[in-house]
Amino acid sequence: MAPSRGPQPLARTLHQTLKAHKGTVNVATYAKGTAKYLLSGGQDRTIRLWNPNVGTVIKAYSGHGYDVLSITVSHDNSKFASSGGDRAIFLWDVTTGNTIRRISGHLGKINVVDFSQEATVLASGSYDATVKLWDLRAQSRQAIQSLDEAKDSIQTIHVGPTYIMTGSVDGHVRTYDLRKGELRSDFIGHPVTAVVPTNDHQSYLATTLDSHVRLMDGSTGKLLNDFQGHVNASYRCRACFGFNEASVVCGDENGAVWAWDLLDATVLQPNPPPRVHDKVITWTEHHPAEGGEMITASADGTIKVWSLPK
Amino acid sequence: MTSRLKRKLNDLGVDTSGSKANESFCLIGTPLPPLEKSRDTGEFVPLWKQEVRDEKGRRRLHGAFTGGFSAGYFNTVGSKEGWTPSTFKSSRTDRAKQKALRPEDFMDEEDKAELRDSQTLVPQNEEVDIAGKYAGDLASRSLEGDDEQDSVSLALEKALLPTPKESPAAKLLTKMGWRPGQGIGPRLTWKQKKLRDAQAKSTRILALDDLKLDPDEEDEEAQKHTYPRPDTPLNVVARKDDAHGLGYNTGPSLNVALGNDRNSKPSGPRISAGFGLGALNDADEDDIDIYDSGPSSRRGLTAYEAGDENRYHHSIQKSASKSQMGASIARNAPLQRFKNGDPVLQEFVLADTPVTEDKWYRLEDVPSGWKPDPHRVWDKYSKENEPAAPVPIPGNKGNLTIEQVRSLPTMNFTAQKSLPFPAAQRGQALGETSLPTKPRSVFDYLSQKDRERLKNFIPPQVRSEEPALATPLPPPPEISPPSGEFVYPRLDPSVAKAALLGFKPFTSDPVKQARYTAYLKSQSEVVSDEDRLQLKQTPGQDLEHFQNELREYAQAATVFKPLSGAMAGRFTTAKAVDHGPAVIEGLHTPSQAAPSPEAEPPETKVEEPENAKTHAVKHGMYGILTRETSVWVPVKLLCKRFGVKEPEIEAREEDPNLGSKAQADWEQETAFPEAELVASGAEGGPSAAAVSQGAGGDERPKRRDLANVGLGEDETQGADVLTYQRPERSIFKAIFASDEEDSDDEDEAKVEDTDLREASVPAPSGAPAPPSKKDVQMDVDEGPIDLATFKPKFVPRTERAPEDNPPTKKRKKDKERRKSGKALVSFDAEEGEDSPVVLKSKDKDRERERKKKRRPKGKDSGKDEKRQGEADDDGDDMWVEKAVPEVVQKMSVDTPSELPKGKTEEAGRLGKRMRAEDFM
Repeated sequence: MAPSRGPQPLARTLHQTLKAHKGTVNVATYAKGTAKYLLSGGQDRTIRLWNPNVGTVIKAYSGHGYDVLSITVSHDNSKFASSGGDRAIFLWDVTTGNTIRRISGHLGKINVVDFSQEATVLASGSYDATVKLWDLRAQSRQAIQSLDEAKDSIQTIHVGPTYIMTGSVDGHVRTYDLRKGELRSDFIGHPVTAVVPTNDHQSYLATTLDSHVRLMDGSTGKLLNDFQGHVNASYRCRACFGFNEASVVCGDENGAVWAWDLLDATVLQPNPPPRVHDKVITWTEHHPAEGGEMITASADGTIKVWSLPK
Repeated sequence: MTSRLKRKLNDLGVDTSGSKANESFCLIGTPLPPLEKSRDTGEFVPLWKQEVRDEKGRRRLHGAFTGGFSAGYFNTVGSKEGWTPSTFKSSRTDRAKQKALRPEDFMDEEDKAELRDSQTLVPQNEEVDIAGKYAGDLASRSLEGDDEQDSVSLALEKALLPTPKESPAAKLLTKMGWRPGQGIGPRLTWKQKKLRDAQAKSTRILALDDLKLDPDEEDEEAQKHTYPRPDTPLNVVARKDDAHGLGYNTGPSLNVALGNDRNSKPSGPRISAGFGLGALNDADEDDIDIYDSGPSSRRGLTAYEAGDENRYHHSIQKSASKSQMGASIARNAPLQRFKNGDPVLQEFVLADTPVTEDKWYRLEDVPSGWKPDPHRVWDKYSKENEPAAPVPIPGNKGNLTIEQVRSLPTMNFTAQKSLPFPAAQRGQALGETSLPTKPRSVFDYLSQKDRERLKNFIPPQVRSEEPALATPLPPPPEISPPSGEFVYPRLDPSVAKAALLGFKPFTSDPVKQARYTAYLKSQSEVVSDEDRLQLKQTPGQDLEHFQNELREYAQAATVFKPLSGAMAGRFTTAKAVDHGPAVIEGLHTPSQAAPSPEAEPPETKVEEPENAKTHAVKHGMYGILTRETSVWVPVKLLCKRFGVKEPEIEAREEDPNLGSKAQADWEQETAFPEAELVASGAEGGPSAAAVSQGAGGDERPKRRDLANVGLGEDETQGADVLTYQRPERSIFKAIFASDEEDSDDEDEAKVEDTDLREASVPAPSGAPAPPSKKDVQMDVDEGPIDLATFKPKFVPRTERAPEDNPPTKKRKKDKERRKSGKALVSFDAEEGEDSPVVLKSKDKDRERERKKKRRPKGKDSGKDEKRQGEADDDGDDMWVEKAVPEVVQKMSVDTPSELPKGKTEEAGRLGKRMRAEDFM
């Protein structure tokens, strides 16, 4: 299927355009497992469940009082958590559409939430520069632990099997290693808006506001590759890996989707890429299993599903 | 005395108890006590036997004056325990019983006696009218002014005035019939009284017969009575407490002279005090105090002597009348004016005559044709014929003439003292030739002998310069010059040099400081004044200011020259000069144009800690420089939820909250200073020590963020290197050596090592010199004691020393025979273990051989067999060692673990303290 050499070409054919959101779509994420469904949240304070293949809204979850900034789906797809400007985390039941739980404790808007792999712990990063870890097994209202090392707003969190990785506006990517009892802070130098680790957890992709996407070595903190060419200076534009982690994809503030070869950091063709969104692309996510599918969410209120040309 | 007498009598055989022996023939003085009495209290006791006791027999006497000694607390509190504090007693119920404590309650007998002694019958400060002064006063008053005295006022006065207190003597006298106003003595008959009166009038002594009595004249009744003696007036002598000569007549005091002395009686009628008198009213007859008792009523208020009063009575009268007159004038003409037109204050009057008028004598008439010829006088008085010009004396308005000066010595001493010029000056003024004295040096005050001695001290070449030595030192450099004359203040070059190095006093004023430094530099060179480059005046500075400035510099230099000697090393001058806050004069006016300088520093400060990292980021040098690793302790529950075992960092971290970077940093920096020492290059002097330490702290530099090391932001950098001192060896021992045994083990291991290599390897530097072989053997002997196998051994002393050497040789041979073919190494250590104990003989050897054969080769062959042999060898005197049970042996396996494995094997092969494990 894939060419023997080089990354598979990016899915650049528009498959569906999902436009039910009014205003900016802040986040769009695939469900776990086979990832047949899509969840998106935006400025209109709703979370929508889509079928990206067909392009229909399955369900709309409304409960937030402010815009939705982050969504995370549990491993069994039974529930998801969302957070936003109302300083509370909402835990939803997917099928009924009810909020199971509302967790409050942060002092600022919550930029990011992430489940642990078993969905036993929920990590939330907030504008108040703290990461709080919530126990979902117990009914305790207090966070298990609060990570206060960051000096500025937390923009992204990834909870791995044995570590928690946070990216902050203070330019640091912090990896809290539970097994070693160690905190590794890598100074990137610019506000980190997104951190996406590789599947082997050895390196991670850090998107920063200096229009760079960097591939960092998780163990040493060294720079493995630096991807640039796009424009990203003031919005959170999440970059992600392409299929098989052979490429890096990122939407920029002009509405173009950029792709780089992971190894030599060259921009994949077309260079420069065409403008596909009217406004800034806030979220780019590749399908976790299939090679030819990718979604981009944008501030123009649309989510576009891309696929390889048939 | 008595005892000796008794003894003598006994010797003589006289019975002391007999009546004969006790017969007293003593007519004068104190007889000796009777012989039968045991003790003679008056007997002579040598001084050292004498004891001073108080009347109660206690050796407790106060003070040197009463012949006592100090008895410490006995003298103060009376008991060894001191004061016992009184227990609290509630006064609620028996308040009435409570008595205020008096000082007497705390006094002992001596104190009370003293108190009694000090009591006087008559209180001294109380006024006592001993001689009936009061009565006499009354009497005298009645005598004095019968005319102006009326009986009513007298009676009133008597009734109202408190009766004066009577002295005991007066009381006694009154009881004996004396009345105030009478003389003391038996009462007189009429005749006697007449005679006394006559006697007082006549000059010759009269007899009673001389008195002519005409009984017709005499009252019959009068003769019937006796009469008291007339009172003899006391001749009160006034105290003389001034320095005037006898008969000296002091002038009237100012008050008296002015007549406004409050004691002076206003003549004229007294205005009764009760009734107000208008300012313009004249004293009428109605206002006159009719009860005024006259001048004698003011008797007790005189401030001057009675004699003075009489003497100046007339003047007082005069002035009083004058003042009276003035008062009338004042009333009539309230506004007076001074001659210059100023109004006189109210109730003041101008004096008609000057207050004090000196006596002026008329000048002698100058004979016509007289010409002043002072030389005539001078020639007459001054033998020296020195022309003495009138000396101007400062402070005196005019020039003192010779006459005045001459009159000075006649002035009294106080006046002389207050003269504004000393005797020498005066002498000069008088034209005296000064006494021929040369300036005195210290040597003049020395005795001849001392001077010679000093001369002997001085080396001959210096001796020639002695006169120079004797001259007084030149005056100090800073003499305030007469005004208008400029003097460049000089400094000692050494002082100037020192001050150059020392404190800078004018740091707040850089220009001044520069000038100060220039001045000091100019003074620091030893050159003559002409060659010296001198500080110039600043433009617009006048000479006086320049002078003052230079003087200030000179003063500052002497004040601020740095400390010398040992103290100097303890201080250092500040490297950074603090100019203090820049003060902007005037009101604060915020200016739009210039942004405030305070706005920028915080920004740079924020960047500061990240500086190194941002720098690294700029250059894309991600990695070590941008990575910071610190300890983070996840909560237990979190680990549980993640299904992760808790990190084992508790062992390293005492504080479970050590998640933050700062704390972690702190931990790193404080807990592992040695590690840092290694990381920062180990530039300390005892680098060997650091290296030896480095083994332990090897991995720690990795944990420490290298981004910080050696950079400016690392505040602690170098501090530990500078301050690090290798602690004493004993501390390391205390920390790393668990106890005595371990260290012994180590020693042994080392020793063995060196021993096995035939001591060819030099001992490690710093370690004590390698012990001699004998020592080594001893060490080994005491060496690692296997708990399981150790048994006390008893060795008779006789067998030890002399047979030390020969048996070893034998055994050596024996062993060599036994273990031939094995490695050729020294057995000294092994021998040493056993040698002092071994007693050998051939048959015993044989016996051992037998035993060896008999015993099966097994787990406990080597050492135990040997021990067994030993024990056998030593015979009856020895404690026989029991065979060790297997279990115990196994237990003992791991106790001496210090030996390296290879060595243990080697040692085992050599038959040295083999253990069970060696055979497994």
